[in-house]
Amino acid sequence: MPKAIIDIKDLSFIFDDGFRGLNHISLSINQGEFIILAGKNGSGKTTFLRHLNGLLMPTSGTIRVNGLEISKHLIETRKTVGMVFQDPDTQMVGDTVFDEVAFGPENLKITRARIKEIVTKVLETLNLFHLKDRNPSTLSGGEKRKVAIAGILVMDPQVIVFDEPFSNLDYPGILQVLATIMDLHRAGQTVMIATHDIEPVIFEATRMIIMEKGSVKEDDVPLNLVGRLESYGVREPCFSKFGLEPQSWQK
Amino acid sequence: MAEITPFTYRPGDSILHLLDTRLKFFIISLVNISMLPAGFISTGFYFFMLLFFFKKTGLRFFSMLSNMKFFLILLVFVFLARAFTITGDTVFSSFGVTVSNQGLAEGGMVAFKFFLIMLTGIIFSATTKPSSVKTAVQWFLKPVPFVPEKRVAVMISLALCFMPVILRQAKEVSDAQKARCAHLQKNPIRKTIGIVLPLLKKTFLSADNLILAMESRCYSDDRTDPEFNPSGKERGFFFGSIAVSICLILF
Ligand SMILES: Nc1ncnc2c1ncn2[C@@H]1O[C@H](COP(=O)(O)OP(=O)(O)OP(=O)(O)O)[C@@H](O)[C@H]1O
Ligand SMILES: [Mg+2]
Repeated sequence: MPKAIIDIKDLSFIFDDGFRGLNHISLSINQGEFIILAGKNGSGKTTFLRHLNGLLMPTSGTIRVNGLEISKHLIETRKTVGMVFQDPDTQMVGDTVFDEVAFGPENLKITRARIKEIVTKVLETLNLFHLKDRNPSTLSGGEKRKVAIAGILVMDPQVIVFDEPFSNLDYPGILQVLATIMDLHRAGQTVMIATHDIEPVIFEATRMIIMEKGSVKEDDVPLNLVGRLESYGVREPCFSKFGLEPQSWQK
Repeated sequence: MAEITPFTYRPGDSILHLLDTRLKFFIISLVNISMLPAGFISTGFYFFMLLFFFKKTGLRFFSMLSNMKFFLILLVFVFLARAFTITGDTVFSSFGVTVSNQGLAEGGMVAFKFFLIMLTGIIFSATTKPSSVKTAVQWFLKPVPFVPEKRVAVMISLALCFMPVILRQAKEVSDAQKARCAHLQKNPIRKTIGIVLPLLKKTFLSADNLILAMESRCYSDDRTDPEFNPSGKERGFFFGSIAVSICLILF
């Protein structure tokens, strides 16, 4: 039995205007998993992810991270569950790549010397060190996403959650971000990705959750679900449409 | 995006690049204030000193001049205004305006001093990283009561980081409007509103996302202190600048 990091019991969420965002969701996220969260626009993916690190609080139900109730342990939760947002432009806070990545550790009051050490290490791991003095808003789309990932990675989270990491990227940009995410997973990181384009990640994923109207409709190994994707408004990957073997996008 | 204006930072490792930013702030304020009463000789001397530092920092003086032509035009107006309004020994007079000797000298001097202050500013901004301006401001604000200096520093770095994003969005909005023939609109007020409203909307949406991103990275006002890397030459520059400003005041 793998170790559950996040444990969700009967989670429901109702927006201020009465709209039912999430509907009785129960599941757990285990160490080492690579989960695709699929579903069409407005199915509740973003709403769900925001619950995982306490940006939204459940209307009913509970979420525990490493056994701790989220609402009472916000800082621990946010250190354990890192979140990479959809639009990198609006999540940058530093005026240089280095400062941007150092923002999280500074909030935790880690010492300056230690910050230097860990930021340098993360930038080197992600091959970003040569960009450390650039203003993040002048980078390419793929580089920006990688900087956003670095800013989360530096907090050493147990789970990294990505909301649409491939949107607005060209093909080389997608490959760049994909390679980064895959490396993380292979190094033992637990990963969850919300996306409506599952083609790039399906080869690597260990599990796929399909949402519709705020409910979890399917939760299984990805290859068992590919045939049913289109009924939920998610494009079926080409390989399965044409009856081929799944192939990694990575060269 | 990186348009070259005279006031952009240019990476380098000259002595002025390495000098502690707090000291640079101090020197600039000191010298620029002592410039007010300065006479012709010491101002000329200061000009040659600036030329020397221009050379040291690898900035090109004449390309710099061509970048600031609008400012130079402004200086011409300052000069003319002085020349026409100050009375004294008449040089020539026609159409009811009189130009005096004293007016010419005074106007020339004022315009020249403005020019030197401008050059000082250019050298400062070309050799100082925006991020270290931020840490220096934070340091100066620390003894000021009721000012949350760490929050101010975060605000400055947000401004630096978001400026290019907002400029790019402004361009997008204006292009989108042009594509729908907004340039046929001759009323400048309507035209401006057409651009400002969508831009504000975008900016507020970005701000919402930004707040979430900062929160998920554990934002707090109680952050790691900034760090300064003095070059070791600070003492010399400190006394040197005091000597220069005494000269400026005396001669
Ligand atoms: N603040 C809000 N108030 C009311 N309803 C909201 C609010 N935010 C989102 N919603 C609604 O909640 C539903 C789920 O939105 P969510 O952003 O979670 O979907 P999503 O699956 O992430 O979609 P996308 O693929 O477009 O990102 C949508 O129908 C949306 O209209
Ligand atoms: Mg979404």
